Amino acid sequence: MLQKLKSALKNAAKTLYVISPMLLAVIGLVGLFKTFVTPQMLHTLFNGSALHDMLMGVGFGGVSVGQPFLSYIIGGELLDEGASFYGVTAFILAFVTLGVVQLPMEFSIFGFRFTLARNLLSLIFAFLLSVAITVTLRLFV
Amino acid sequence: MKKNKSGLVMLGIVVLLYAVLFSLNADKTLMALKESLGVLKMIIPILVLVLTLTALLNTFIDEKSISRHLGEESGLKGWLLALIGGILSHGPGYVWYPMLQNLRERGAKDGLIGAFIYARAVKIPWIPLMIAYFGWTFTVVYTVYVVLGAWVQGVLLGRWMALSKDDIKIHHQDKSSKE
Repeated sequence: MLQKLKSALKNAAKTLYVISPMLLAVIGLVGLFKTFVTPQMLHTLFNGSALHDMLMGVGFGGVSVGQPFLSYIIGGELLDEGASFYGVTAFILAFVTLGVVQLPMEFSIFGFRFTLARNLLSLIFAFLLSVAITVTLRLFV
Repeated sequence: MKKNKSGLVMLGIVVLLYAVLFSLNADKTLMALKESLGVLKMIIPILVLVLTLTALLNTFIDEKSISRHLGEESGLKGWLLALIGGILSHGPGYVWYPMLQNLRERGAKDGLIGAFIYARAVKIPWIPLMIAYFGWTFTVVYTVYVVLGAWVQGVLLGRWMALSKDDIKIHHQDKSSKE
């Protein structure tokens, strides 16, 4: 077990090495984003209206690729800049459960019907869950 | 390895972007760099925690044992395993697709596969980061709803696929005729 843990730690270090360029790139973009993109500019994209924010969130989340933590970082910044939880939650969900870029691969592995059903359901669920999560959150805050 | 390359390309683009912006507006670009360093500082301890968690998951949960129990006739246990398996699975989703399709071909329920894929929206190693950005309440509410959503979506997906079993047969024939 100790041997296994050792090799697992080694793998973790390797993972860090592999993701570090992308991580640094995204962090660099976040810095630019924070400095050059003003809240006013973001408000035109995410204006706080539930449906509008969710549409933007699902759209951007669905076409974005990368490790899920990227969506947390971007989502967190969006929230700071005044986007609603509706939009940010939709963004995070779409980021992980929808992948326009990997669609061809999904079709080729699972077949047409399964991929269509799964992606359509995930699209609908991004909206449903964003509403459910935001409404529930309001009960606590 | 390919992923590593795309990361490097992306980093190159960002560096270039900084260079161009620096020539246009040096002060603001330096401010951006300072902001980035701030974000990096905040991320590093969390990153260390995440990688340790990943290593622990790799050590104590064997991917084969997840796949073995996702089979058919599994009832409630199957759903639980699909959800837990999805939550615990790490790495990009497409890495898991061939294994999932293999299970499907050997009789695993479509709904279980769907639930597994959706449950991947819960990322245990990244939970500290989610808490840091969105707080405990959001993280708990999000996790509960995603797991519930994965189960409901699995059930719906299973029903949908049951309406069109022919499609799978055709797909299988396609595959076997190619082989």
